[in-house]
Amino acid sequence: MSNAAEAVPEVINLSAGEKGFVDEIKALGATHILDCIQCAKCAAACPMALAGFPFFNKRVIQAILLGLKEMLLDDTSIWACQSCNRCTEVCPRKVNPFEVMQAMRRVAVREFALPTLAIEGIKSLYDVGHAVYLAQAHENRVKVGLPQKPPSTVAHPTALRELQALLEQTALSDLGIIPMGKSGVKESCEV
Amino acid sequence: MRVGFFVGCNTAFNRPDLEKAVRYAFPALGVELDDLEGQSCCPTWGTMPSIDLAGWCAVGARNYALAEEKNLDMITVCGSCYGSLAESRHKLLSDPELKARVNAMLKSIGREFKGTSRIRHAICYLYKELGPEKIKEAVRHKLDGITIAVQPGCHALWPSEVYEDKEEDTFHPKVLIELCEALGAKAPYYSRLLDCCGMGGMRSTDMEKSFKLVEKKLNSMKEEINPDLIVTACSSCLIQLDTAQGFLQKDRKINYEIPVLHYMQLLALCLGAEPGQVASLGKTNVQSVVNKILEG
Ligand code: SF4
Ligand code: SF4
Repeated sequence: MSNAAEAVPEVINLSAGEKGFVDEIKALGATHILDCIQCAKCAAACPMALAGFPFFNKRVIQAILLGLKEMLLDDTSIWACQSCNRCTEVCPRKVNPFEVMQAMRRVAVREFALPTLAIEGIKSLYDVGHAVYLAQAHENRVKVGLPQKPPSTVAHPTALRELQALLEQTALSDLGIIPMGKSGVKESCEV
Repeated sequence: MRVGFFVGCNTAFNRPDLEKAVRYAFPALGVELDDLEGQSCCPTWGTMPSIDLAGWCAVGARNYALAEEKNLDMITVCGSCYGSLAESRHKLLSDPELKARVNAMLKSIGREFKGTSRIRHAICYLYKELGPEKIKEAVRHKLDGITIAVQPGCHALWPSEVYEDKEEDTFHPKVLIELCEALGAKAPYYSRLLDCCGMGGMRSTDMEKSFKLVEKKLNSMKEEINPDLIVTACSSCLIQLDTAQGFLQKDRKINYEIPVLHYMQLLALCLGAEPGQVASLGKTNVQSVVNKILEG
């Protein structure tokens, strides 16, 4: 927790908080955020807090309630969330803190504050149907007695086209984070 | 018994020896696997779920549609796939508006999500549908004298509300422990048994912080139960615990190595599979423990 203190300024200017931020977050999936009582059970269970990321679940919620959008966008913590849902399991108020983390990521994506690796994963998902993809994997696959390609979109161009047609109807196409409509298979990607 | 095999990215591309183990072990136990041709990524947390809730559910729903068209449930050996698919299904089934929106998207590709197929966690499937006794009877090699540190993985446990396959008490999991014991091994408790492995978003965001978690976890195993082997129920935990040890050794953070296998790999070995096919692509050296297994 050593860098938690560095990441947050000592005095927070509350009047600088963004109005309507909570509503934005709610609309993007964090439906129950206002039920949070800051009891910190979620923080006690969170591996992000244990690993020393400054903005773990409870703090993200509080920052959102204070409208501190910029501060959250400046920090990469939300991308370290493991989607482990320990927080969801223990929250006595059924806030679903994990959903808040996800909603915060959805805000960040709309502000183009997403890490390069996430962009790579999305591009790979669109190009080959897998967020994690290693083009050289066929060697190992053959070595262990499997066909070169798994029975997925990688081996079925029509299935890939189907998936792409779906993705083209999502927020991805409005946001323009990745080139769509013409896919170019890349070498590898790990998210 | 017949189920769709949801392969997932990490298993197919990073650890195809695990895929091979699944394809060996399930049929050997009388469970037939269907390939669900044309399946895609679940999609994993850092992609669609982080961008667009309906888009996430649509990709998940397309995978479900492939299984529903064949009247099959799906099994997966990856926690992220299990978590993402279980959650998107739960959302679709509890929100009619979302379901209608997703089905409108699916209509354009000639598919529909009904909600008739489920995602099953391979390890819990083994436990519930076959049971430790049947597995005990089927194995050729026993693990007597082997101590295992289990790593159930977050997505086998929480959020229990949305999971079809769940532990009686999610903070005291026993499924993986009992399945290891069914093979003849000891799988004692250690204090950081429930700790996250630090893979996934955390490792992509800050490798050093992620490895700090692994180090804590490994030290707890080593000091408290000194295991011959780590056994995971998740492909991501497998990759993380297996690959992190080399980095930690190089940085002089740990001075030991514990071999790591996914339970499906261990099971396949005990059922008589060829080690070169089902347990050959890890970074930790599993040879000595494989030899022990083959002797048992
Ligand atoms: S456990 Fe729930 S109520 Fe308590 S701080 Fe976390 S989100 Fe808020
Ligand atoms: S889901 Fe994210 S926020 Fe919740 S406990 Fe896990 S890592 Fe922390």
